[in-house]
Amino acid sequence: MAEAKDLMQRYCDGEAGAFRELYALVAPRLLGYLLKMARERALADDLLQQTFLKVHRARAAYVRGADPIPWIYSIAHRTFIDETRKHKRAVVRVGEAEVLPEVAAAITGESEDRRDEVRGDPELVTAALDALAGLPPQQREAVVLTKLDGRTVAEAAEIAGTTVGAMKVRAHRGYEALRKLLGKPEDPAKKAAGGPS
Amino acid sequence: MTAQGELPPMPAPVPPPLSRLLEAELAELAPVAPRRPVRQLVLLVTVSLIYAAGVLAMVAMRHDLHELPGGWLVGAGLAWLVGFVVPMYLATVPRPGAVIPRWKLAGGAAVIGALGFIGLGLTLHPDGPSLGWAHFGRGRGCLELGVATALVPVVVGAIFLRGALPVGSRWIAAALGAGGGSLGGLMLHLHCPINDGLHVGLMHGGVVAVAALLAAALVPRATDLR
Repeated sequence: MAEAKDLMQRYCDGEAGAFRELYALVAPRLLGYLLKMARERALADDLLQQTFLKVHRARAAYVRGADPIPWIYSIAHRTFIDETRKHKRAVVRVGEAEVLPEVAAAITGESEDRRDEVRGDPELVTAALDALAGLPPQQREAVVLTKLDGRTVAEAAEIAGTTVGAMKVRAHRGYEALRKLLGKPEDPAKKAAGGPS
Repeated sequence: MTAQGELPPMPAPVPPPLSRLLEAELAELAPVAPRRPVRQLVLLVTVSLIYAAGVLAMVAMRHDLHELPGGWLVGAGLAWLVGFVVPMYLATVPRPGAVIPRWKLAGGAAVIGALGFIGLGLTLHPDGPSLGWAHFGRGRGCLELGVATALVPVVVGAIFLRGALPVGSRWIAAALGAGGGSLGGLMLHLHCPINDGLHVGLMHGGVVAVAALLAAALVPRATDLR
């Protein structure tokens, strides 16, 4: 498969097929990142589409010969942050009388909106994803980028719009928190007794 | 779990097909000219210098040029010029192989420029009678003229950087403002005959800080991706 920068150049030259190839190359990794950040398949899909739409509209800002992947990740990062802020502003309270539709579970026992989440075989993947979801967004992003997506600290800092030092601190704290969460799983009996109804 | 390798492997999920909106956009895909940062920088600096020269021609050169110490006149002029070009370079030209300009360095240059020119103006200026705080407010015209001079470089820079800044846009904007403010400072250096340290520091140097703050507040609205 061609390199991302070659595809981006051909795409800027007006070749729609190059955009499709670029999407095929970058979208799986980017969706993995967005899924780990958003923890909801439908939202991650939507963020992915928004990200590529923004890439399309801003393609004239691309610099010929540059690696477009960190730039596309930064756009995804920005899109996720903006969406999170929008959701915070638009919190909808549901009254007791209102009934929310249940999401049907598939034969595997997974609901529709979580069926395509990233998975490996073991229970450890589920535990890790749940623990990851418990981290503050900045630490979660640092762990996702540096530990799961294999980005260097410098690249992760570039994507998240922060300094290398701050990214190192976030990744370290996030990783430590994740280790604690995975090392000391919550007592199921305690969870059942004290969990929210 | 102590090392990266101990995290469970998580295969990448299958992305959805392209949305209808994207498909529609692709159906009408037109070639675009990607950004050429160095060419944009040259154009930005040239247009800005011509504009500043035009403003200076309108308001006239200072009448005491021949009486001023040559070292100060040239040295301060060069400092203003460097204060214009360096933040503009950092704000528009990314490191090789990158798309996003060096916003951290650009932000640092904006802060150093703003504080530096105020400090230098307060300390390094030709000897002469001090106007003191009583006449300080009269210098507002210089501040306005300097900010007006900064307008063109900031606007041109913002146009060049549209869509290029998913992160760090405020720092880049501050650098554009500081660079533009320094150009305003250079123009005032050649126009304003007041040598008082308070005036040169807080009004001429203050142009850099004010332009940087205004640009940081306003420019991201134009450059951010929607």
